Amino acid sequence: MSNPDDPIDVLALGNGRYQVTRGTERSIAFAVAGRDTWVFLDGRTYVVSDTPDGSPRRSRIDEQGALTAPMPATVLTVNVAAGQQVKRNDVVMVLEAMKMELPIRSPRDGVVKAIRCEAGELVQPGATLLELEGNVEG
Amino acid sequence: MTSPRPFDRILIANRGEIAVRVIRACRELGIESVAVYSDADARALHTTLADVAIRIGPPPAIDSYLSIDAILAAARQSGAQAVHPGYGFLSENADFASACKAAGLTFIGPPPEAIDGMGSKIAARKTAIEAGVPVVPGETPTDQSNDAIADAARRVGFPVLLKPSEGGGGIGMKTARSDSDLVETIAQARREATAAFGDGTLYVERLIEQPRHVEFQVLADHHGHIVHVFERECSIQRRHQKVIEESPSVAVTPSLRQRMGDAAVAVARKAGYRNAGTVEFLVEGAGDSARFYFLEMNTRLQVEHPVTEQVTGIDLVRAQIGIAAGRDLPWTQKDLSQRGHAIELRVYAEDPARQDLPQAGLLLLYREPSMPGIRIDSGVTEGSEVAVHYDPLLVKLIATGETRDAARMRALAAIRNYPILGIRTNIPLLMELLEHPRFIAGNVDTGFLDAEGDTIRARLSSSPSPAVVAVAAAAREVGPTVAARGTRAKSIDPWSSLRGARV
Repeated sequence: MSNPDDPIDVLALGNGRYQVTRGTERSIAFAVAGRDTWVFLDGRTYVVSDTPDGSPRRSRIDEQGALTAPMPATVLTVNVAAGQQVKRNDVVMVLEAMKMELPIRSPRDGVVKAIRCEAGELVQPGATLLELEGNVEG
Repeated sequence: MTSPRPFDRILIANRGEIAVRVIRACRELGIESVAVYSDADARALHTTLADVAIRIGPPPAIDSYLSIDAILAAARQSGAQAVHPGYGFLSENADFASACKAAGLTFIGPPPEAIDGMGSKIAARKTAIEAGVPVVPGETPTDQSNDAIADAARRVGFPVLLKPSEGGGGIGMKTARSDSDLVETIAQARREATAAFGDGTLYVERLIEQPRHVEFQVLADHHGHIVHVFERECSIQRRHQKVIEESPSVAVTPSLRQRMGDAAVAVARKAGYRNAGTVEFLVEGAGDSARFYFLEMNTRLQVEHPVTEQVTGIDLVRAQIGIAAGRDLPWTQKDLSQRGHAIELRVYAEDPARQDLPQAGLLLLYREPSMPGIRIDSGVTEGSEVAVHYDPLLVKLIATGETRDAARMRALAAIRNYPILGIRTNIPLLMELLEHPRFIAGNVDTGFLDAEGDTIRARLSSSPSPAVVAVAAAAREVGPTVAARGTRAKSIDPWSSLRGARV
């Protein structure tokens, strides 16, 4: 068994394979470094990012109130218009990817400042879908 | 089959793992395989593996894999004698089967009349009733207005399922639990039906709660012989799409198996069925007293066909090709038996920790496990680009063992040793499911994943341990060598992979 004080030793075996040794415990990991670093260890996959906030693919609202696309998708419907009041969890638009509908819900109460996409448009991850104004704490 | 090969050249009107599966069957039989591909698949595994590959259009399926004209032109160009449709896309399109016939091509599947008869849920139910097989209450309103659909839903009773009449595979299927959900659910079901099948006609059906999904594989030749090849249980589903399938089903006793198998054969016979098909049932309860209802018949090879192959020793694709060539079934019902247990895991390109969000991207690293009792049916390889245009199914892992638990433990050992990097997959969810007490006990129904999904998913997010961080640091030192290979592949001209298209 290993204990938390044991040093972790990583040996590159080539072709993305790594031997991880800690105390008497050994396992094989796989990893690829790119814009993010992907690691596979003990049946789990991790994305280790240099930026503390993680990947830009997350569908969330930023400090400026911009709601972004979580993945490449087609905009199916836009259910709100600029100037409209929305409540938290209102479906503001519906995206479609891989034959599945993906409802995009408002993360908080607010007013739609601007719509940045239109129905039928193919959007890329991180693309701004719409902007909200109102209390950021929500 | 020692006789001469049934065909010289077969065109596979599909992509992904099923195209690869059929290409391999052709290769074993000494038949030349012709792949078709969209621009998104110019370097895909099926495109590069086939003897001949022909471009059929741009990425959207409607302009490529769903284009009858483009596929028939490819068949003409390649000199193929037969077309295997796989599953999905045009596999259950009677017009396509007819068009193949008119073009002098053998369609490796049922006759257009049987596809039509079983593709329409109204006609399929009628056939089942005529064959003396019980059905679930439901209807397809002749008046397809939203009001008439809502009235039908109230007649059938809540909870109610709205499904595309032309559909299959759970695509576009929606549930309404009360009157207040109805308006939004009808609109959503209609949109998805139109988008996926080009037809917004809806079927309204009573949802039977806590049923098991048990289906029977049938094979019918052109000489009046029909057999069933036993059952598959497919109760682990999310959003009505199957995730884990197995054979045999723990709920099916020998006497129930006999009755359901007879019912499946009776439906196939009544439908004038030929080739491989699957009769789906809902099962309420378990054991000899369980009740079963005919759900629908899928007039094609199923995604989960490997579990049947693993427990019966029969190659269903080979059987399909033999039947299409006019051969007799090589066995009678009494020649067939089940041995051991097989479990199939569907590996999807989606993130189970984030509401199963579909994933797209480059497979930076992809290493298949190789161990006893493990079969991998894959549509991808290292460096493959997973596109947003198609179904998120990447690969199927099938584990076979002497007992259900042996198969389950093999599946778990293999899936834990299956690195796929560059996109998220549902592998963490599959691992949790294989270790879930209800799955271990075989105590599942089609609502299992909907009921337990959130609890299971809550366990999935794990922050990187110090060991993971150390490996990441080592990988950054080594540099993006594995990634670089994928990046370089991107600059290849799609036309350069058009090898053999001159045939």
